[in-house]
Amino acid sequence: MAAPSAAGLGRRLRAWLPRMVQVRWSRYSPSYLEPEAKKELYEKPLEELTEEEKEKMELKAVQPIKAAPPTLSSSVFNDPMISKFTNMMMKSGNKVLARSLMAQTLEAIKRKQLEKYHKAPENEKETIECNPYVIFHQALKNCQPIIGLSNITKGGKTYQVPVPLKDNRKRFLAMKWLITECRENKHRRTLMPEKLSQELLLAFNNEGPIIKRKHVLHKMAEANRAYAHFRWW
Amino acid sequence: TLRLIYTTTAVERKNVGASGPEKYTEAFIKKQIEEFNLGKRHLANMMGEDPETFTQEDIDRAIAYLFPSGLFDKQARPMMKHPTEIFPEQRKIQWGEDGRPFHFLFYTGKQSYYSLMHETYEKLLSVQKYQDQVTAQGLPLQKEKRNLAGSRWLTKIELEEMLLEKLSDDDYSRFIQLLQKLVALPCADIEEKYIQKFSKEVPVQLQKVVIEPLQYDERGVAFSTGEGTRKTARATAVVHDNGTGKITVNGTDILHYFPVLQDREQLLFPFQFLGRIGKYDMVCTVSGGGRSAQAGAIRLASAKALRSFVTEKEVEFMRQAGLLTVDPRVKERKKPGQEGPRRKFTWKKR
Repeated sequence: MAAPSAAGLGRRLRAWLPRMVQVRWSRYSPSYLEPEAKKELYEKPLEELTEEEKEKMELKAVQPIKAAPPTLSSSVFNDPMISKFTNMMMKSGNKVLARSLMAQTLEAIKRKQLEKYHKAPENEKETIECNPYVIFHQALKNCQPIIGLSNITKGGKTYQVPVPLKDNRKRFLAMKWLITECRENKHRRTLMPEKLSQELLLAFNNEGPIIKRKHVLHKMAEANRAYAHFRWW
Repeated sequence: TLRLIYTTTAVERKNVGASGPEKYTEAFIKKQIEEFNLGKRHLANMMGEDPETFTQEDIDRAIAYLFPSGLFDKQARPMMKHPTEIFPEQRKIQWGEDGRPFHFLFYTGKQSYYSLMHETYEKLLSVQKYQDQVTAQGLPLQKEKRNLAGSRWLTKIELEEMLLEKLSDDDYSRFIQLLQKLVALPCADIEEKYIQKFSKEVPVQLQKVVIEPLQYDERGVAFSTGEGTRKTARATAVVHDNGTGKITVNGTDILHYFPVLQDREQLLFPFQFLGRIGKYDMVCTVSGGGRSAQAGAIRLASAKALRSFVTEKEVEFMRQAGLLTVDPRVKERKKPGQEGPRRKFTWKKR
């Protein structure tokens, strides 16, 4: 939750320069654009495109594009949220292990849901969600905090000021809480996929320790409402 | 009695550092040009070629032959170019004999920049006046959309070269803003010539790469080859038509060569993107690099080979999906005084 850099006259004047993204240091020149691998965007026939999209396509045709990273693919099974979560779970670059843990987690969720499905009476069968991807997305959405706290030093004292969070930050916090919760608060013998699937199912139903942590954060923000005017951005 | 004080020329010499960069007079540059032309003819004579038709490329080749140099920096190697390329263009003295400057904006410090801004603003006002006249007459305003994608404005460095003056980032952005405002007006076509001075054409299609035609082997099956690299891995792929979707790497099946799912997904990415999975057969060879680098190299090689089988539009789509660019990311070197490329040594207070 860092405060943004001071917006100066130079930055505002420079902000209109199109397509130039300031990068700290990268092997690509700043004029390179991000690749888009989704097939649906390219399968649209010409007539359906709006004016804006046609202009965008024309502009894109003149610019160089970065190479697609190994995690990006156009297959149906590739999900950006799941890739991000796998990367966060990864330790010391062991992507193979992280990916297998993720696969086992989704399998465990599916198994638990199917068990529930077969045990449930006829009328409740439709309410039980069996798709592990839907459960994952919904659980993460439920875990995302709306408002966060930021440390602002004023007059020597540091105050916790409530601050609206950006989308990226919300997603990151939800995933980070999920992973830390599963790594720390579990019995020594339980494996990660089992614990993760448990937490995801609880979060899907708006229960569990991560949702509690989110509510605690919201309450703290509500309590510190008086300092909200310290925020200048 | 008087004593002789011995003074050296160092005392009489003026403070050299304060005079700024070397100033070349016009006579000096002329002499350099004459010497260059003479030297060019001598060089042509030495190489046994015709002095009349000795181009700059021939000069470069001759110098590289006579003075071979292994230096990495091309600017440090011996070169023989026309004096206008070597000596940077300098402004002539801006004031007359009586000390009065010629230009009325001389005392602003950036006379050419401000005069340019004034000129552009005058053009803007004239376009607005013309617009008002046209609307007063009741005729419709023409609005032809300029091709935004095909042209770009001059960069700051190019503008500095044009004006022979240093510009700041703010100045440059203000100028570009003014130009954009001018272009945005509907009747800006009048000043098209003036605007063209400050815009450059961008090659409309970035498909400067030539797509090779298909080759046919003995049985009449079409095939094409492609090469790809990623980090230290080098791969070559041969894609055959009328296939079953079998992929062989270094003589073994991909299931045995790439046990990880992510690598196999990368190999199939170009085929899945084009929607032609079971139609082609692929035989590849790869060496060097690690598991992921080899997969990336084969992906690039197969994408390049598939270009010959596919329409131009689909090639453009592949490029926009990032399949046809060589990944420039390599391992960063270790720096002296640090433990790794970024990690510093442990800081000890004492």
